Amino acid sequence: MQFHVHRRDLSWTTSDVDPTGVVLTVLGDLDMAGAPNLRQAVVAEVANGFRLVVLELTAVDFIDSVGLGVVVGALRRLRSHGGDLLVVCAEPRIRGVFESCDLDRVFDLHIDVETALSKRLAA
Amino acid sequence: MTELSGQGIELVIPPTPEFLQLARAIVGVAAGLGGGASSSLDPGRIADLRLVVSEAVTNAIEAQGEIGVSDRILVCCRVADDHVVVEVVDHGPGFDPDSVPDLPDVETPERLCHESGLGVALMRRLSDEAVVESGPGGTTVRLTIRPS
Repeated sequence: MQFHVHRRDLSWTTSDVDPTGVVLTVLGDLDMAGAPNLRQAVVAEVANGFRLVVLELTAVDFIDSVGLGVVVGALRRLRSHGGDLLVVCAEPRIRGVFESCDLDRVFDLHIDVETALSKRLAA
Repeated sequence: MTELSGQGIELVIPPTPEFLQLARAIVGVAAGLGGGASSSLDPGRIADLRLVVSEAVTNAIEAQGEIGVSDRILVCCRVADDHVVVEVVDHGPGFDPDSVPDLPDVETPERLCHESGLGVALMRRLSDEAVVESGPGGTTVRLTIRPS
């Protein structure tokens, strides 16, 4: 029997919401291999002056406890700078991992970026 | 690197994060194929299996990294009619799974100070059985997943 495994490195794109807000659209696997790169991306965006980061995880294929830890750390970093982190996650499997660790009580898991931003404006 | 024998697979990987994805993929494929017949695990349980395997292999990589051991990590997957068993064997310093501290409640500010510490809890929560045998020569984690 043969099968092929194509390794998918973590990658992301950024788009500004406004002068202090940015969306990070993440693709790939948030695990021990990929998650540290996302941590550095958030550190860089905060250093660049952004205080609102939207993590768009809909295209994330996999997340484990290391990936969850990076998301928790991102929230702590932003709050320590007077900012906030929004998480967008439409994929039930990924949402389920947050729920398995009760982290859905820490993060509102938004269905898309527009909904996340509109709820923040309304708050 | 992989050996298919009967209804099981043995995978031997270097203790580096780049091989996590491979371990998950191969175990997921083996579980999806089932024990010679169609798999008894639905896609959700296979996703759970991939997650707990990732946690176990991550712990193994970290454990060996703590003491600079470059020995390869063994991942064994046995597929039966009504369950899948995965063993992850490392050569780290060993640990007491009962000594892993509980994390603060998620609704307290202190919780945000903890980026790690969820792996063992996830393995226990998502597996039907999670057995850890650990000593100075290393750790074997045995995870059993049954249909939901």
